[in-house]
Amino acid sequence: MASTKDIQRRIKSIGNTKKITKAMEMVATAKMRRSIEAVLKTRTYANLSWATVLNLSQADNSGEELHPLLVKKDKIKNVGIVLFASNRGLCGGFNTAIVNKVHESIKKHHHKGEPMEAKAEFIIMGKKGLAVNKYYGYNLAADFPKQDAVSEVAEVMPIAKMIINDFLSGKYDKVMVAYTDFINVAKQIPRVKQLLPIDFTADDKYLGIVGEDSRIGISKEFIKAKDEKHLEEKKNKFYYTFEPSPQEVLDKIIPRLIEVQLFQALLESNASEHSARMASMHKATEAAGDLVDELTLYYNKARQASITAEIAEISAGANALK
Amino acid sequence: MADKIIHFEIVTPKRVVLKEEVMQITVPTMMGEITVLPNHIPLVASLQPGVIEIKKKDGLPEVMSVSGGFIEVLKDKVVILADTAERAEEIDEKRAEEARMRAEEAKKNLKQFDQEKFTNINASIVKELARSKAVKRWKKSKNIQ
Repeated sequence: MASTKDIQRRIKSIGNTKKITKAMEMVATAKMRRSIEAVLKTRTYANLSWATVLNLSQADNSGEELHPLLVKKDKIKNVGIVLFASNRGLCGGFNTAIVNKVHESIKKHHHKGEPMEAKAEFIIMGKKGLAVNKYYGYNLAADFPKQDAVSEVAEVMPIAKMIINDFLSGKYDKVMVAYTDFINVAKQIPRVKQLLPIDFTADDKYLGIVGEDSRIGISKEFIKAKDEKHLEEKKNKFYYTFEPSPQEVLDKIIPRLIEVQLFQALLESNASEHSARMASMHKATEAAGDLVDELTLYYNKARQASITAEIAEISAGANALK
Repeated sequence: MADKIIHFEIVTPKRVVLKEEVMQITVPTMMGEITVLPNHIPLVASLQPGVIEIKKKDGLPEVMSVSGGFIEVLKDKVVILADTAERAEEIDEKRAEEARMRAEEAKKNLKQFDQEKFTNINASIVKELARSKAVKRWKKSKNIQ
């Protein structure tokens, strides 16, 4: 049995670890509250604007191509993926989950239908996103720094600009965004969603996710409405009037809405990250507490054993003197 | 009357400003002011800073200021994605006026011609102007009744 001194030292060190994880948990809780507030504020806008954009992508304006950002490419050769990860670790499976999800959906993408030679390239935000390159060997196109504090739309503007330009220039045939959707404090789901071209039907086909979960952080009603619309997709195409002109309106509206989508993805990721960190730190604190309890028990046993041994020795000595 | 109602929603990135069933909506688009009634054809237009006026189900008007954004009109649904928007009763007229003054001052003081700053200042001037207009119109509509 370990000596009492060793056990005491361990108890102390675990106690210190516990203090640290406790502090980190509290910091994460505070940050989480702020980021959840931020994410909930913008959700309605993001959802409504995405609905608008999807409606527009459906617009049946007598076969004319409304906007290059709505046009599907025949052959998908290069896919750009915007990945939102965290800057720091110690947040449970947060980063692993999103990175694995992306990797899986790329693999699935490959297996489906014809053997495609689609190449994936990453635009990452958050230091831990580098894992896609480190572990899976995907190419990185860009690495944007991510601020820790609650962010502004301006932060994602360069990304939006970059993907739109690259899509228009033909560098990418498809642009996806990978982020962690914030469901509630205990539940976050990594998602991969198609951003460009904006396509009503694209949905989950390539996303490698099944069921309701696959739909972006949207309300139930919207999903339902979308499903209903899906069914009568053909007959339910709108002929939109654009003012001043389709070109002018879409030129303005689409990039703006892409920005909003990216921003929403960033906020969702932030809220998820802090919740994940809070949860994992809470668990760590708990585990440390359990360990301290257990070690205290051992310590007491060891102490008692040594006292017993000492008494036995003394009485044995006394007996020998008689 | 059931078919004479529009589901109206106006949201900004920060919040939902108003969600209501209304009879008609007047918005300032780039091409000029338009009024949307039920069964309007689908329309998408960009907005310019100005005043939005709606008529609620009970016939009462509601006035809002908007600083730009988009409107999507579907058969019985209107969604406004505004950059910023406020209901008239939330706006403090005096402060709106002061903010506009400050912006105009800043415009005068701008020594070097900086395209970006200039447009930013101009944008805030029209925005504040729209806000104070909205309050004025709202007060007017209240007085008449």
